Amino acid sequence: MANRNSRLVTSLSVVSLLMTGTAPAFAEGELNILTWEGYADASAIEPFEKETGCKVNATYVGSNDDFAPKLAAGGGVFDLISPSIDSTAPLIEAGFVEPIDTSKIAEWDNIYEKFRNSGGINKDGEVYGVPYAWGAIAFMYLKDKFETPPTSIAELWNPDLEGKVSLWDDKSALYVAARLNGDTDIYNLTDEQLDAAKKKLAEQRPLIRKYWSTAGELVDLYAAGEVWISNTWAGYQSSLLADKGIEVVEFIPEENAEGWMDSFMIVKGTPNEDCAYKFLNMAVSESGQCAVANVNGYSVANPVAAKNCMTPEQFVALHQDDPDYLDSLLLWENLGERLGDYTNAWNAVKAE
Amino acid sequence: MRLATRNRLSSGGVLSLPLVWTFLFLFIPYAILFIYSFWEKKFPTFVPAFQFGNYLELMVDPQYVRVLLRTIKIAGLVSLLSLLLAYPYAYFLVHKVKRPGVKLVLYMAVVLPLWVSYLLRAYTWKTILGTQGILNSFLVSTGILSEPSSVFLYNQTAMVVTLTYVFIPFMVMPIYAALEKIPGSLTEASRDLGMSAIQTFVRVTLPLSMPGVIAGFTMTFCLSFGDFIAPFLVGGPDGMMIANVIATQFGAALNWPLGSALALVMLVIVLTIITLSDRLQGVGRGKYA
Repeated sequence: MANRNSRLVTSLSVVSLLMTGTAPAFAEGELNILTWEGYADASAIEPFEKETGCKVNATYVGSNDDFAPKLAAGGGVFDLISPSIDSTAPLIEAGFVEPIDTSKIAEWDNIYEKFRNSGGINKDGEVYGVPYAWGAIAFMYLKDKFETPPTSIAELWNPDLEGKVSLWDDKSALYVAARLNGDTDIYNLTDEQLDAAKKKLAEQRPLIRKYWSTAGELVDLYAAGEVWISNTWAGYQSSLLADKGIEVVEFIPEENAEGWMDSFMIVKGTPNEDCAYKFLNMAVSESGQCAVANVNGYSVANPVAAKNCMTPEQFVALHQDDPDYLDSLLLWENLGERLGDYTNAWNAVKAE
Repeated sequence: MRLATRNRLSSGGVLSLPLVWTFLFLFIPYAILFIYSFWEKKFPTFVPAFQFGNYLELMVDPQYVRVLLRTIKIAGLVSLLSLLLAYPYAYFLVHKVKRPGVKLVLYMAVVLPLWVSYLLRAYTWKTILGTQGILNSFLVSTGILSEPSSVFLYNQTAMVVTLTYVFIPFMVMPIYAALEKIPGSLTEASRDLGMSAIQTFVRVTLPLSMPGVIAGFTMTFCLSFGDFIAPFLVGGPDGMMIANVIATQFGAALNWPLGSALALVMLVIVLTIITLSDRLQGVGRGKYA
């Protein structure tokens, strides 16, 4: 299996070589990171570069779907990646990432146990990811458009809101519809349940103004008055909207919300392992953790570091004091072989 | 003798770069796509195989045919709308505008937007068509609408309008060229023989300009057929086109084999259209030239 995969990777890298013409050169002491916007913020990266001499180049992804294809298209470019917990298993399985020696991560034991032991980053006794940030896929609405604050997902199916609803263009839409149907085991839906979720989404489609694909797009939709209610990456878009003077309110509905967690993983065969470990240590230290909390408004994986670098208000606002909140979220799971079925179901809704 | 050899050598030298280019960037990628299309999706990625399952799935699962038909419909509407706008414009330029300077300016007005990034031009339509956009502000301020309407943006009409705007130069240019090539003596002769202006247009000018129309139709159709930016920017929940499906198969689903099969189906459709258009143009030439 591993052999076949490595052959696949080799042949794919040959292809990508042919297609691009040049191979990016490895440079010792230089880290190429494939990550989310805000995860390589200057407030943390500049001191890191000065202290360690490791230069950081960040490339940003627009969605979790970008990690695997970029690695499958040929290795040798990136040293570190930061996929969400539902997208890690194929990367581990395909041999794109390396096991992590947790004894080299000074603050490892301070990270939430739930994350350290998560199935998404553990396989056969090895750890493959260093948890970094987390949050909820909450819902949000324009404050001045609702007299009674919505409390249920059902509000996104309210016919009165025709043309004012938006939903993330992602398989997550199926999770939302399934919960509304009362199917709470959203990561193990049966074919019938998946079909029911599909029907529910088809029913909702006339109310949808636009399915949003990027954080910026959702912000634009609210700012242009196109959308009044949607799901959201809790903390992120709402603060971008607040900067524009648009007041939105986030809420966790009765049907609960999904939770996500991003971890940094080391790409197999990186020649910059030293710098990679230095980066991982920085990422879960106070400097890295408070950078992402301040820039993206996300909760962080290391509550001990968070306590030291956050104000008490921020610490509470990001639920770092409240393990029950974290436990209440339906933490994303890898869908394994079912990923194709979920993706096709979501595509079928959009093809109707 | 020596000259002939040198000629052959130099023509080989001139051609070799385009040939290498074509081989590297067209032939090899398509060959790879072709091979992938027989591979098999197997968690976590996909494995080499030789089977027709991907093509079968495209036929069995109705979503693919549905999106394909939708894409053909939108590309067809874009081409039709472009034709309806471009033909009168090109005709006007060739026959009614007498001063070469004015002609040049009007021609460049169509072609010039091609120098501006496609993304930027498509994005601009969002600011025009949006609920708080330019069109709505205009309609509300003139009293035509009492409140802003949301019907202009995020639907298939918005996609057709945007794509028409973006690709219309490819319709104007060949029609303009075809109309300009028609000798003035032919239309004069037709009028001298007692045909009305309309009869002359229908029986002389229009048939002779058909090669330009067909070339323009083919280009706008194929370009909008493969588009995936307009659905993303101005399309609504029913805006997904075939190129977007291919993108999700390569990305979200990590099913490159199915994506490759779909890409090849798309390639075959485009090649069929180009072949048909070539035939049609040949027929036109044979008959009227």
